[in-house]
Amino acid sequence: MPDTQADSYALTVEGLHKRFGSLEVLKGVSLVAREGDVISILGSSGSGKSTLLRCINLLDTPDEGVVTVAGETIQMRKLRDGRSVPADRRQVDRIRSELGMVFQSFNLWSHMTILENLIEAPVHVQKRPRAECVEEAHALLAKVGISDKASFYPTHLSGGQQQRAAIARALAMRPKVMLFDEPTSALDPELVGEVLRVMRSLADEGRTMLIVTHEMNFARDVSDRVIFLHQGLVEDEGPPAELFSNSKSERFRQFIATERS
Amino acid sequence: MDIAFIWATFLRLIAALQVTLSVWALSVFFGAFIAAGVTWMRVGGIRPLEWFARAYIFVFRGAPLLIQLFIVYYGLSSFPAVRASIFWPFLRDAFNCATLSCALCTAAYQSEIFRGALAGVPNGQIEAARACGMSKSLLFRRIIFPIALRQALPAYSTEVISMVKATALVSLVTLWDVMSVALKIRNDTLVTYTPLLIAGAIYFVVNYMIARAFIFIEQWLSPHLRARSA
Repeated sequence: MPDTQADSYALTVEGLHKRFGSLEVLKGVSLVAREGDVISILGSSGSGKSTLLRCINLLDTPDEGVVTVAGETIQMRKLRDGRSVPADRRQVDRIRSELGMVFQSFNLWSHMTILENLIEAPVHVQKRPRAECVEEAHALLAKVGISDKASFYPTHLSGGQQQRAAIARALAMRPKVMLFDEPTSALDPELVGEVLRVMRSLADEGRTMLIVTHEMNFARDVSDRVIFLHQGLVEDEGPPAELFSNSKSERFRQFIATERS
Repeated sequence: MDIAFIWATFLRLIAALQVTLSVWALSVFFGAFIAAGVTWMRVGGIRPLEWFARAYIFVFRGAPLLIQLFIVYYGLSSFPAVRASIFWPFLRDAFNCATLSCALCTAAYQSEIFRGALAGVPNGQIEAARACGMSKSLLFRRIIFPIALRQALPAYSTEVISMVKATALVSLVTLWDVMSVALKIRNDTLVTYTPLLIAGAIYFVVNYMIARAFIFIEQWLSPHLRARSA
């Protein structure tokens, strides 16, 4: 619905369904992110939280549901066998370039230096002038605290440094929404802090962020809203202060108890 | 030790190296293009083409190169239809037949190397590129191909080197390559060791240089796999 309120949303998701074979992972999930919202998505493994994130930028194709980024709805069409596919690949590519994705396993391009990783998509997808991209990339590397690593290859960096580089790579696209898919789950415990600090600074500067995470304290301290997924449905959601102190969901209370132990 | 004979043999064999290297270079070069096409058919997702590619690899990798060579050179010319066709000016020439057979054969091996290298590109890096909004062609050009190329090099160098040795077979279809000249000298002089050892040394030196070249290319393309200095 292109009314004025929908236009001010950075991201809306309505009635998302996703099946893998006979397994229904998402059973109708909706969420709304206003400009500057930081939303943490919690849930035990198998609850569908990563799939939700991956359906937003169509790394997984949702079977049903509507995704709208900054007022633009991703056009889908049904195939004769009932599968849903994007109607316009170019629209998908464009919308993906407006969504910065950070992966659990970093996924930096191994054959490029960190600087090359950062300017790759801005130069080749967004067709921005190279010099401008390089300058911006250096500023982003400084922001995430690895400006001395610009000429390094990903394999020469620690996990925490790689993930910060991956965050900088996503930021280099000037995304409207940042998607974080368990960004600290593959890190050694002592490296988690440096990545969370960067994410916190992004939240503080008012970026719109969707974060799938197991970091309970981070979710509680940094998020504007927490969404708890259970078996493919939103079990409970709300501001973290409310949710963490008196959730109406028994499952969520159990969940935070086990995550903390 | 007859130094003069050794020297004369060496000079004759070195002169024949041109034929060996020509067959080798042309067959590897054109084989790479055929291999690229076969690989595309093999992994492109179109069933009939995939079967064709599988059959191609099965046949050309399965049968001895010597048989393929004889079929192309001696076999095809026995069909009047072939001799009457527009391909005859090409196929009547032993050099062309030898190069064609070698190219068709190495293409089967090369395409399997390409397929393996493509399959080895980490899925996460492909997803990261898709998540940035890269189109399929950009994704292939900027991410998949450069990574696959680096992964293919070690196996590819082995195939390229084994092709140098495989060209020795073209001595059996009337070409005057290093091998056939060595055999001729042996027949004429009844000296076995000298021509064969010198020929072997020539193949060895050529392959050594090719191996060095590939090591150089690998290092040049893969600074990320080396320890960082400074």
